Amino acid sequence: MEWSEFMKAVSVSISSVEKVFGDKLALDEVSIEVGAGEFAVLLGPSGSGKTTLLRCIAGIERPSSGEIRIGEQLVVSSRVFVPPERRQLSMVFQDYALWPHLTVRQNVGFALHRRPSAERRERVSDLLDRVGISNLADRFPSQLSGGEQQRVALARALAADAGLILFDEPLSNLDADRREQLRIEISTLTRTAGITAIYITHDQSEAFAMADQICVLNHGRVVQSGPPEKVYRDPVSAFVARFTGLAAELPATLLCPCGASGFDVALPFAQDHRVSARAPIALDPDAPVRLFVRAAGVRLERSGHDGIVGEVRDVAFVGRGYEHVVQIGPEHFVTKVFSGERHERDETVRVCFDPAANFVLPVQEGVQ
Amino acid sequence: MSSTAGTLQLGRERGRRLSGIALWLVLGLLIVAPVGCFILLATSPRLFGQGSQLFTLRYVSEALSGVTGQGLFNSLWVSVVVSVLAVALSTTLAWLVHRTNVFGRRLWPILMWLLFLVPTWMMTLSWVDVLQPYGSASAIGLPTSWLYGEFMGPFGIIVVLTTASLPFAYFVMSAGLHGLGSEYEDAARVHGAGRLATLRTVLPMVAPALFSAFAISFAETMSDFGVPFTLAYHTHFPMATYTLFSAISSFPANFSVAAVMAIVLILTTVPPIVLQYRTTTRRSYAVLSGRSREIRRREFAPASRWLVSAGIGLLFAVSVGVPLVGAVLGSFVRDLGIYAGGAVRLTTTYYRQALSPSVAGKGFSGPLLLSNQIALGVATLTAVLAFVFARRLASGTSGWSQRVTDFLLLGSVAVPGVVLGVGYIFFYNLPVITLHVINLYKTLPLLMLALVATALPGQTRLLAGPLGQIQSSLGEAARVHGAGLWRTWRTTTLPLVSRVMLWGWLLTFAKTIAELPICQILYAPSQEPLSVTIQAYLGNYEIGTGTAMTVVALVEMFLVIVVALGLFRVFTPRGWRRIGWSGVSS
Repeated sequence: MEWSEFMKAVSVSISSVEKVFGDKLALDEVSIEVGAGEFAVLLGPSGSGKTTLLRCIAGIERPSSGEIRIGEQLVVSSRVFVPPERRQLSMVFQDYALWPHLTVRQNVGFALHRRPSAERRERVSDLLDRVGISNLADRFPSQLSGGEQQRVALARALAADAGLILFDEPLSNLDADRREQLRIEISTLTRTAGITAIYITHDQSEAFAMADQICVLNHGRVVQSGPPEKVYRDPVSAFVARFTGLAAELPATLLCPCGASGFDVALPFAQDHRVSARAPIALDPDAPVRLFVRAAGVRLERSGHDGIVGEVRDVAFVGRGYEHVVQIGPEHFVTKVFSGERHERDETVRVCFDPAANFVLPVQEGVQ
Repeated sequence: MSSTAGTLQLGRERGRRLSGIALWLVLGLLIVAPVGCFILLATSPRLFGQGSQLFTLRYVSEALSGVTGQGLFNSLWVSVVVSVLAVALSTTLAWLVHRTNVFGRRLWPILMWLLFLVPTWMMTLSWVDVLQPYGSASAIGLPTSWLYGEFMGPFGIIVVLTTASLPFAYFVMSAGLHGLGSEYEDAARVHGAGRLATLRTVLPMVAPALFSAFAISFAETMSDFGVPFTLAYHTHFPMATYTLFSAISSFPANFSVAAVMAIVLILTTVPPIVLQYRTTTRRSYAVLSGRSREIRRREFAPASRWLVSAGIGLLFAVSVGVPLVGAVLGSFVRDLGIYAGGAVRLTTTYYRQALSPSVAGKGFSGPLLLSNQIALGVATLTAVLAFVFARRLASGTSGWSQRVTDFLLLGSVAVPGVVLGVGYIFFYNLPVITLHVINLYKTLPLLMLALVATALPGQTRLLAGPLGQIQSSLGEAARVHGAGLWRTWRTTTLPLVSRVMLWGWLLTFAKTIAELPICQILYAPSQEPLSVTIQAYLGNYEIGTGTAMTVVALVEMFLVIVVALGLFRVFTPRGWRRIGWSGVSS
């Protein structure tokens, strides 16, 4: 039996949602559309409002204003509030929220209590098989490792036959190896099951790896949303650029436009060198700007005339090659610069920038 | 459907507000109004028709002088001595049980629970049975008459009250020491500290537990009524709770002096309770649990191990053995305390007398049954109210309503039973209450309400800890996965607090059966609870019958506890039993 037979993916529509805690505005006019079967990731730092938004969708918090629809059902408006148990969704909690007095089997079967026991047993066994913990069915949560507990939480969420699963930073308590393994499992299992997923994280690599759509939140607002490639390549603000991973952020001066949406800029500590970069948003030619450098947009040369001269300050072996920290100018560094060959500390190198991978944004944004 | 749900939600918020008001009303009627009005009487007797002065300090000076002043002074110094002794003994004992390889490490805590359940008046009675001339000890050939003289005075009072305070101090110290991983001692040792320096380093870490143990021992001793009623009174050593009781039971009753004494009693009990509350809620030693490593026990050499274990055995033989053996012997030996020509004559007469109506016409089965009914009702009502209050305290919000509830409950812990009883007599006999609100004076419901009031603060605190430790996400997970409010409570909250709720229920049940001051003050005519009946027999010098009744009551209490725990073990799911006292997997 295919999982998708049980589940019907639903769309989620969040419209102008606000949430106020005392005098703190946790969510400010948030509007997001998630299509049926889509895997959406809410990305943002601590305190950006992503958990509050997820809890509003779940029905654990009630928004102060705005509307939320799950599929065709209006679940939140000024006059309507559907309690969580009637929203037909499931959730994987950050702390797993496994009931300590129930076995793995009982935890996973919790949402199936109205099903005939034979069907419930079969479904629970099937799910435990799929997440690879069928041998742990009769254990209690305290007898499991963190990764195993997370699998139970995932199986419990999948068991609910919901069209929507919410993930509240489910990997944040795991070590790097388990994170990677479970990330793949979550991504695969939810897509195989054909469920709509809303996943929150503050880890940009996790977000880019899993999402069909990313919504970046800051101070309770959605600051950018779109496919991961678009968010990565064309961040609309310095905040998004920083939060999606930078190798360097450098002061710059606009020299002249180049190409359709590009500019040449000069760096104060290398006035004789021009760096080309894209401008994701329209720029005022007279305004001060900053150059934002992605790790993938830099390469090192031992000699030649390209790039800016720098000195290697640190080098780390990362398996497939080396990551370097290079000092350019008196107080500026470019980090995570990958090279297949090792450049020793204090070695003089030339740092070359890829015009397609780097971008300039106004300095006001940089200050933000 | 959605609109209905929305309306339900709004209704639920209104309901929450209303339930908050209802809870305050309950607290007000149960504790604040009776105690508040009573202590107001100390300076404003005219407000309650007890005199002509609207404000006077006359009764303050009256209460602080003469026999009442002496009673307060005696209670204070005895409480200090008892608390110091209890903390010293319990700290040593807790350290031996938790940190060494002493024998009987499972047995000693069980005996401590046993000691916890024995009321102080029962202890006094047994000690007297054992030590008196021609008493139990004489009957088995131990001459103790020299000790009897000493016992019938401050020495005996301190002995009984110290043994009664031991469990409170022990439980607090055990918690403190249990969480203190041995890595702190190891760290001190590897950085060059000797044994003494290590002790000096580690001791401040258990200081909050020491303060708590002292505070709770002090408050319990100060508010005890059993020893002042049964021992201090007979030895002409006045103590505050008994002189307060005398002030209202004499004719004419002097409520105003009693009110001043109540204020002093509460004032002396408040600081230790607040100190204990602050040290525990700041959780100064909370960091010591959780990540602490498994403790490493100090290994005694075989001879020392036997010696120390024997010492602990002796302590329990005195503190638990004497009361229990004394009571059993006193109930089976004929004419104990009366010269009988040297022959010990065993008899079951006292049990037969106890179980059939006596000459005085007071049966035992009636009061026993009544006390069980009262205890059943009180324990159940207290459990329900305590859960509701504890849930409110543990809800995590820090609104003023929660703070006020917390303050009132904390303050109520400091109200001794005798003060509460007298407060009830005074408040529920006020004409304005009896004529215009409700007339409960000298009725069984009033007695039960007072017993609920005295049990509620403690049980609420007992439950608030485990409820506060339950992650909110457990309930949220249940709701998100389709469970309504009732199913969420039944399947996630109840299993996690079931054990502590059962223990709370059992403690209230046992303590209610043995409760003396409130029963003595508030029992309804012709409806005597067991403790009052037993005291009547003892006061009538029918010691054997009174003791036999005490033994039967004690056995019945333990049977109820054993059966209840057995049923819990048999009928609850395996997962429920895995959850420890604190609501986390054990």
